[in-house]
Amino acid sequence: MTRDKKYYLDTFRVTEPMLDRLIATAMSNGGGYSDLYFEYSTFTEVTLRDGQVNLGGFHEDYGVGIRVLCGDKTGYAFSESTREADMLAAAKAAGVIALSVKDGSAPGHRAGCGVRSNDFYPQKESWRECTNDMFVPMMTEIDRRIREAEPRAVKVLVRLSATESDIMMYNSFRELTCDFRPIYSLVVSATIQNEKGQTVNCNANKSFRQGPECVIGNEALISEMVAKTLKYVDDSFEAKRPKGGQMPVVMGAGASGILLHEAMGHAFEADFIRKGSSIFTGKMGQRVCPEGITIIDDATIGANRGACNYDDEGVAGQKTVMVRDGILESFLHDRISAAHFGVAPTGNGRRECFRNNPIPRMRATYMENGNCNPADIIASVGKGIYVDEFGNGQVKIGEGDFTFYVRNGYLIENGRLTRPVKDINIIGNGPQALTQISMVGNDATIEDSSWTCGKGQSVAVSCGMPTVLVNGLTVGGE
Amino acid sequence: MRFTEEDIEIARFCLEEAKRHGAADARVSLSKCVSDTYSMRDGELDSVNHSADCGISIGLFVDGRRGNYSTNRMEKDTLSRFIRNAVASTRLLAEEKAYRLPDADRCAKNATEGTEMGLFDEKYYQVTDQERLRMSKATCLPKKKYRGEGWKVVNCESEYMDSISDSITMDTHGFFGRASETTFMISCEITIEDREGNKYNAYDWDADSFMDKLPRPGICAENALKTAISQMNPGKSRGGRRKMVVDRKVASKLVAPIMNALYDSSLINKTSFLMDKQDQKVFSGLLTLMDFPMAKGLPGARLFDFEGVATEDRPIIENGVIKTYFVTTYYSEKLNIPPTVSSPSVPTLMPCAAEGMEMKDEWDLDAIVKAVGNGVLVTGFNGGNCNDTTGDFSYGIEGFTIKNGKIGKPVHEMLITGNFLELWNHLLAAGNDPRRCTRWQLPTLAFEDVSFSA
Repeated sequence: MTRDKKYYLDTFRVTEPMLDRLIATAMSNGGGYSDLYFEYSTFTEVTLRDGQVNLGGFHEDYGVGIRVLCGDKTGYAFSESTREADMLAAAKAAGVIALSVKDGSAPGHRAGCGVRSNDFYPQKESWRECTNDMFVPMMTEIDRRIREAEPRAVKVLVRLSATESDIMMYNSFRELTCDFRPIYSLVVSATIQNEKGQTVNCNANKSFRQGPECVIGNEALISEMVAKTLKYVDDSFEAKRPKGGQMPVVMGAGASGILLHEAMGHAFEADFIRKGSSIFTGKMGQRVCPEGITIIDDATIGANRGACNYDDEGVAGQKTVMVRDGILESFLHDRISAAHFGVAPTGNGRRECFRNNPIPRMRATYMENGNCNPADIIASVGKGIYVDEFGNGQVKIGEGDFTFYVRNGYLIENGRLTRPVKDINIIGNGPQALTQISMVGNDATIEDSSWTCGKGQSVAVSCGMPTVLVNGLTVGGE
Repeated sequence: MRFTEEDIEIARFCLEEAKRHGAADARVSLSKCVSDTYSMRDGELDSVNHSADCGISIGLFVDGRRGNYSTNRMEKDTLSRFIRNAVASTRLLAEEKAYRLPDADRCAKNATEGTEMGLFDEKYYQVTDQERLRMSKATCLPKKKYRGEGWKVVNCESEYMDSISDSITMDTHGFFGRASETTFMISCEITIEDREGNKYNAYDWDADSFMDKLPRPGICAENALKTAISQMNPGKSRGGRRKMVVDRKVASKLVAPIMNALYDSSLINKTSFLMDKQDQKVFSGLLTLMDFPMAKGLPGARLFDFEGVATEDRPIIENGVIKTYFVTTYYSEKLNIPPTVSSPSVPTLMPCAAEGMEMKDEWDLDAIVKAVGNGVLVTGFNGGNCNDTTGDFSYGIEGFTIKNGKIGKPVHEMLITGNFLELWNHLLAAGNDPRRCTRWQLPTLAFEDVSFSA
């Protein structure tokens, strides 16, 4: 979809001279850098419950965020109106920071500019042009197939939501960057009750930066959602909480990447490094995990939930190698941390919306392929746990301690997957766990679920991993 | 910065437009919030953030159909177009007879000023930017406290925040309700590092609706530092079934699954481990959980819920018996049970002590640790999960050992596992020390026979 500079200026009812006046006002007290972040976002949602698509909605959000940087210090304000007087008032409020800082004139890095020269979001049609009835056939078909495949289903819920954002950024280098960002999530939830009256709740979700033409009438997507929703039903009824203790843990390809995101990725975010609160502070250039392990944070995977043509500071989306062959190579920078460390920004300055200032955030975080056959990895374990999906993870950035709930997993006994397990957690320490990786599979997979990272602000991310063996982690069971 | 008559007129305009474009009924909520945050880092101003939010959400009931819409573009011509499109969009959804506004006689009629619940401080208007800067500076840890025996502070971030919020809800059945609130908050997060380079992080905060009731601004930094130091050199404690004391600051982790299980959406999706349990005794007789929406001055106090339904003080769980589900108008019809309110306002866990324990006047953490004797004090939860359908849980924890009635060494990388029905049947004590700054009034808790693994 093509949108030119005029489209964005018109959408926000501003002119280029007006942008310059806002920057001048924001920096009237001093400061080294200032930027404007205009956003118009629409959010469409439709829900199927009780066999019918009977709930829907449409939401919109409009405004501009204005930021002034004085070295590492930030002044921020926003306006929900783009009348010049309202924006100038916000610019003045953001500029207050400069009154309190003695020397904050370092300008940071130029980042280039563009009106969407990157194009990581395949889209032909706009979600804004869709009407509720267009999604009904797809949603009712998912409902029908789930009930057909699983007669024990007592409740099925299907929810489709899509956001589209017009983004226009301008800064004190006079760089104008514009982007149009689509993203959708499809969520299916089914409650299954067996003959004994036991109930399990099964879920599946998918999320991509794509247009509606990739969803409407997409037979493959319907089949995948149904299969994914029902994949663990029988195992869930049979699963038992195993005996806990220290043991090898095999992390399945794909969704296990959330552990990489939480337990390691956050500690690579450069605001924590700049403040000295990350466990990886001072470890640049050092070995942090065994040879052969490479960890990436990537904005350039087409249609991926973590893809960014530009970050929210106007820096082009890029692929950042955090760990190469076991050596820590780069942190994830926004403009502040990049200027602080004297390196180029890595395009990780992201924000929830115009109400928030950008901070270093991940995009699609994954581990690259190793050279082991996944079946060989499982076969190498005498007694341990295989984790297919994690959920509800938490990590302490400074200490590196993490706990992850195992949503779906199996016991490994004598090199074979045996019984399904439930209601257990894996606990450990991120950097220690990295050093204990002994086998990496050749089946790296990006998991395209609706991952949302909540570091004070919510942003869309994704993650992935090949099958990996970690020699000793604490498994909490009976 | 509260709503003017002109703002309120916008809400009325939306209701009229909804009717004019063909809606049978509508509910409009107008909300506004202005906040200022001054953040300090290592004694210097780090960021200043000013925000001013205003938005309108519209629930439409059209030909037996329902849609939810919201916007922050408040010009009348824009709103009129928005509502016309919203009505047309709602017509494309399937009919669902259960969608309707609550009966007018269930709705509050006394929330006209917005300040009835005592959560609004007129002094907010007198707070200047200079005062905010002074307060934020006062939240900092003094530099002379940055080093101690075997540790140093590597990062200290603190902040002062104040806000004013105003919301108005009205519907086509004649309901009008307003709620206004001011908030003043201080917080501090500290990271320390020991000689080996190990890092320990701690956070503390406090808040009140009234500026004068805020504690001394520096207290959060002192508490955070004390907590960070106490966590140094953690070990793993032995597993097994032990007594557990839970700090009031994290007690919500053990109460939230009960609350979730009482919501109508959990009941209708059959994902509640408390299905079909109303008026049954399922927990220890020691457990009484009240809802006190009329507790003026406490966060969460309110006269009406999001539907406009009048709130009232009532038991949620009384002596272990479930007394209330949270049921909205729509789910009431779907579940065929009477409607109540959509959610708890000020859920309050009442003090108690098991037989053989003597409840003191100050029934707080120290008193309960002393009474428990031996076990584990949980001061933080780290990950984990509760199975909503069965109540089975598994959580990572951190805290301290309890030995001979005293708090001992820090522990980490431990888990507790069990079932919530079982856990709350092993309740030993609940203190009388909830924090004033939290909406959920939860005290220090103690349980026996909890399964720990390490």
